[in-house]
Amino acid sequence: MDYLSDLWATNRSTVAFAMVNSLFALSTYVVLAAGFLSFSTVVFAAVGGFVGAQLVVKGVGLPFVFGAAAGGGLLISLLVAAVFLRLNSHWMALASLALVLITRVVTLNAPALTGGVNGLGVPLALPMDWLTGVLVLTVLAFYALHHSWFGVASRVLREDPSVAACMGVDLRQIQLIAFGISGIVGGIGGAAYAMLLQFISPDTFFLGIAFTMIAATVLGGSYHWFGPVVGAVVYTALPIVMQAFLPHLLQEVANGVVLLLIMIFLPRGLIDPRAVRLRRAAPAAAGVMKIRA
Amino acid sequence: MTPILELDRATKAFGGVTAVDALSFVAPRGQVTGLMGPNGAGKTTVINLISGLLHVDSGRIALNGTDVSAQKPHHIGALGLARTYQNVRLISGLTALEQVVAGSFLKRDTSMLASFLHTPAARHRMRAIREKALHLLDRVGMAHSADVLAETLSYGEQRRVEIARALGADPVLLLLDEPTAGMNPAESAEIGRLTHKLRDEGLSILMVEHNMKLVVDFCDSVIVMNFGRLIARGAPTECIRDPHVQEAYFGKQRHDADGLRAVG
Ligand SMILES: Nc1ncnc2c1ncn2[C@@H]1O[C@H](COP(=O)(O)OP(=O)(O)OP(=O)(O)O)[C@@H](O)[C@H]1O
Ligand SMILES: [Mg+2]
Repeated sequence: MDYLSDLWATNRSTVAFAMVNSLFALSTYVVLAAGFLSFSTVVFAAVGGFVGAQLVVKGVGLPFVFGAAAGGGLLISLLVAAVFLRLNSHWMALASLALVLITRVVTLNAPALTGGVNGLGVPLALPMDWLTGVLVLTVLAFYALHHSWFGVASRVLREDPSVAACMGVDLRQIQLIAFGISGIVGGIGGAAYAMLLQFISPDTFFLGIAFTMIAATVLGGSYHWFGPVVGAVVYTALPIVMQAFLPHLLQEVANGVVLLLIMIFLPRGLIDPRAVRLRRAAPAAAGVMKIRA
Repeated sequence: MTPILELDRATKAFGGVTAVDALSFVAPRGQVTGLMGPNGAGKTTVINLISGLLHVDSGRIALNGTDVSAQKPHHIGALGLARTYQNVRLISGLTALEQVVAGSFLKRDTSMLASFLHTPAARHRMRAIREKALHLLDRVGMAHSADVLAETLSYGEQRRVEIARALGADPVLLLLDEPTAGMNPAESAEIGRLTHKLRDEGLSILMVEHNMKLVVDFCDSVIVMNFGRLIARGAPTECIRDPHVQEAYFGKQRHDADGLRAVG
């Protein structure tokens, strides 16, 4: 029992980071699953993070903090979508990266809201049960989305936009919904992140976190909502595990190598429903062949 | 009664190639109309123009009396157009049944929010759509493979799933781009009979088809094009005998009945 509580104490923050990264990865995933690689979750997280931090400073209760962060993320995501959906999808990744750079400049130059270079202290540690509750609700929402007409439409859209359009799918509508969901979840994730770190600054929402989001999503797989969750957990835990086996100097290299290996050998990510279905189909087909022979 | 489909001097050029050149024709309601022409004649381009994946440079296309020349594909779909593709475009990772359910998107009768919340009405509607999808797979002879990943099926089977998917939208006009390519004669005849059954239920069909026997047996009338232009139209047997058509398909020296016999 003591051993267990020790284990929990040492890994508690890793678990919390894995959960927040899951939120970020889910936010990235929903847009990717509608056909766009985009780093804009960083921007939604920044809005949610600073809005949330300001409200915490003012002593507002957690339900309102998360509500406002979600609302702020939604608002900014719809603005971003209004501009981005005019772009050719190839350029969206680059445009969203540019947006991340712009966001940093804006946050640096709005010290009244963001604390500028000095950053912002967040005088409230995120309770673990709150974080768990938020993640569980988000995952339930993604489960419901997967089985909804939005899920059906986005699966077709991603594989073949022309076919989707001829089926009657309004591509812009589906993509706008995807961005809206990404904004809500990204905003909530940003607020959670702020309370987890208890200090945020313009550098918090920059290239590092952008890389984490995309890597976790691609690693876990972007063909099912479970992929980004698994990806975030693996991506967060990997450095900790490496630490136990490797000298410090080799750790970062090993992290990179492991990620590369997974991407080379599992390009569709760790969680791939299509691969599962193909594997399930293979023995059946083999059986038929035997009977014929 | 307005025709189900009317092209009026529809023109589409790709750079220097005029793929569809001032093409005018009418597809009568409740009939199977064949669209013929040698390779590169512009048949697929016509199908893409009608479904809105491409837009005419000039001219007009009317579906069921509505001008759709400048409409987006999903609007044209909502007006009752469904189609298949020359090189089968099923969605990777989905089972045969899921393909047809996706094809029923326009008939979902459920708001995005109700669908997300899985309201009782939304769940009830989804069950009905699944049943209908299974029935459609049965109609094309693919019910036994409903839960099979569509990409693992044979080419001919995939074509049949694709037809079921198009039927999921309950269209008023169905465009089939070479529905029997890669099928054996028995399978092809099966598709021909299906088009007749669908026609007798009131569906209008425009079908690109190279198999002359199928055209003669199952098309009520045909339109023949070459180099983007109309070269013949009318009853299938007469069109195939038409010297212009013989020349387009077989070259100048054989514009007697030999050409027809060779393929018939
Ligand atoms: N997207 C495109 N870009 C450029 N040229 C095109 C495009 N689509 C078709 N073409 C050209 O237009 C002409 C007509 O092509 P289309 O595919 O419509 O012919 P088709 O009658 O369907 O031929 P097939 O029997 O081989 O399917 C061809 O010369 C083709 O090369
Ligand atoms: Mg063609």
